[in-house]
Amino acid sequence: MRFLRSLIPSLLLLGAGVAEAASSWNFDEAIISVTGKGNTAGAFKDKLSDHAPLAKPVTLGSADSLKIILTATENGKAKRPHQAFLLLRDQDTGLEATFPFSVKDTGKGKVDFSQKDLPAQLLISSQPLRATLLLASFGSSQAFSNHVFNLDVKPDPNAPLPKYEKPLRYGKLEDIHHIFRADPKSGPKIVSMFFVLAVLATVPVLLGVWAYLGANLDHLSKAVGAAPISHSLFFSSILAMEGIFYLYYYNWTLFEMLPAAGVVGLVGFLSGSKALSEVQSRRLAGER
Amino acid sequence: MRWLLSFLLLGLLSVVHAVSSSGNKLLVVLEELADKAKYSKYLADLESRGFKTTIESPKAEKIALFELGERAYDHLLLLPAKSKGLGPNLTPKLLLDFINAGGNILLTLDSTHPTPSALVSLLLELDIHLPTDRNALVVDHFNFDTLSAAEKHDVVLVPRPDALRPDVKNFFKGDGKGGEVIAFPRGVGQTLGNTSPLLTPILRAPRTAYSYNPKDDVDGVEDPFAVGTQLSLITTMQARNSARFTVIGAAEMLEDAWFDAKVKRSVGMGGVGSDAKQVKTSNQAFVKEVTGWTFNEIGVLKVGKIEHYLNEVGVKSNVTNPKIYRVKNDVTYNIELSEWSWDHWEAFTPPTGDVVQLEFSMLSPFHRLPLKVASTTKTSTTYTTSFKLPDQHGIFNFKVNYKRPFFSNVEEKNTVTVRHFAHDEWPRSWVISGAWPWIAGIGVTVTGWVAFVALWLWSKPVPLKLTTSGRKIQ
Repeated sequence: MRFLRSLIPSLLLLGAGVAEAASSWNFDEAIISVTGKGNTAGAFKDKLSDHAPLAKPVTLGSADSLKIILTATENGKAKRPHQAFLLLRDQDTGLEATFPFSVKDTGKGKVDFSQKDLPAQLLISSQPLRATLLLASFGSSQAFSNHVFNLDVKPDPNAPLPKYEKPLRYGKLEDIHHIFRADPKSGPKIVSMFFVLAVLATVPVLLGVWAYLGANLDHLSKAVGAAPISHSLFFSSILAMEGIFYLYYYNWTLFEMLPAAGVVGLVGFLSGSKALSEVQSRRLAGER
Repeated sequence: MRWLLSFLLLGLLSVVHAVSSSGNKLLVVLEELADKAKYSKYLADLESRGFKTTIESPKAEKIALFELGERAYDHLLLLPAKSKGLGPNLTPKLLLDFINAGGNILLTLDSTHPTPSALVSLLLELDIHLPTDRNALVVDHFNFDTLSAAEKHDVVLVPRPDALRPDVKNFFKGDGKGGEVIAFPRGVGQTLGNTSPLLTPILRAPRTAYSYNPKDDVDGVEDPFAVGTQLSLITTMQARNSARFTVIGAAEMLEDAWFDAKVKRSVGMGGVGSDAKQVKTSNQAFVKEVTGWTFNEIGVLKVGKIEHYLNEVGVKSNVTNPKIYRVKNDVTYNIELSEWSWDHWEAFTPPTGDVVQLEFSMLSPFHRLPLKVASTTKTSTTYTTSFKLPDQHGIFNFKVNYKRPFFSNVEEKNTVTVRHFAHDEWPRSWVISGAWPWIAGIGVTVTGWVAFVALWLWSKPVPLKLTTSGRKIQ
């Protein structure tokens, strides 16, 4: 007896717990239908289940409109919930659009929308949209939320896709690397070498022809004997001038070269006049 | 004597404790000074972090945001007021001037106190939209506190927010372990305009939440102001001068009662969490982070030294930050960045996936290069990159333009001239293979000339005897 009496409070608790869990929102008779303008033959109609989503996705074409009619129930009795929403979620980005039902006090609610009511981001989604039904209200009844079907939005293939311009958000930008202009290129080296050799070949040709015509350095000893300083200075100044031109080409600046050229030129002028008068003397002597 | 020393040390320690990087003068606008007791823990937290708080009613005459043209306070905290306006010293224009002068504002709203229309239009100017119904509040039948709001469902429980994007640092995740709960009691949800990059939500409402007007939508809501994650519960706006403006939708979450309240989650979507346990809210820690961000205690970046120099052929030049470079020079750029974290400067690392970029631009960037870490010290990190200047002459800028959500803006511009090649910087002719025939020609000419001079001076003429057919006779 005492055992039975001690059982009673726990039985009561159990009963209370069961009663608590039983109060929840649900729906009776949810009918989903897709109708197109003037396309009543191809209309789609089905019943939504409160524990499993529809097996096949519901297709919504560009001229179609989707309608859901249901009766919301709290604890089995038809009642108007405060919140009766259909959530459509883009599986790629997680963006969700919501369509509230217009519900009467009897608990009968209806929602309908077409493609033009959907935001642009959901229209261009690559996967079907996941539709969740929410029925909830104030109070202690457990709210209802379930994935009821998938919506495949088929935009009009002829109409251009709605342009979604991504708004400016701060973040990393694309790398940019400047593309440099190509360096100027010379022609093939082999062609250059051919012409270098052709040019260099003129030197032996020139010296050879001069030798054939009788060129010689016979008067060198006579000239050096007659005017050694003048001839040596003159010829050195000729060579030095070429040397100055070479240095100017290599790394001298103009104002480094000009004084040197001036000095060498003066030396060449003064020694040259003496050297050339020695040559004149040989010419007057009939040796030239 | 020792007690005097320890006293001094204690005094110094309290000064060194967490402090804002931009000043500590805080003005708290609270209409009923009797309400001070409701926020005592929050205000004590602020004082302990080094803020010098002044608590005034909006109707007080001596309340003034500006004094002689300068900001009199560094930060402003606006708690909800019952009256229709905030008075002549806190007009929307003065609040905007305060932001433009670099001051930070933390605005709290309450669904039981209708927001003054001046504030509604101020928020609209920042592209933050409030419900048109003055009494609208956010409810959620799937995420409410069963202990305090079992019937009305107006205390929304949200977890700590995730990072806004994978490449944005999350300053509001607490210790990141999860399982924390933040209570949002009887708050006003906001929606944000899509075009502004300056707006960032800290805390968004759960998917199943919605905003409704308890006076009009008693039986059912058919055209809610906003629903789900489109509702922002805590919104931030960081102006281009890095001044911060935060809107907390529920002033009640700052109250002592909610700082360590015990809550129990309701059954969520799909029936999850039917066996939830009682937990303590993390409001105190979360509000500290939100306030810390708003009042420049976290998320503040500073630029230290910027150096750029010529670095040709691996030889670092001694001249730093020259005013002029040449086309196609190899240049290295270094910038030193620090981040303020509650009470000290520390080395700054951008979040994974994000990178600080250098732009070398004239009117548009010629180069946009990622900066790599060169060295780190305790208080800063030096970022570097080396690159070749474009083959375009002109006036260029080294631009580091690092603007990210929740970080203060870093915009550094150094202008340099890029000149042409000088006449003696071009490749020399002997390097150009096409010039070799011409150089050979010059050499041949010189040789011929010298030989001619020698022959002319010293050659003995030889009479040329020819046969009748023109051949030479030796």
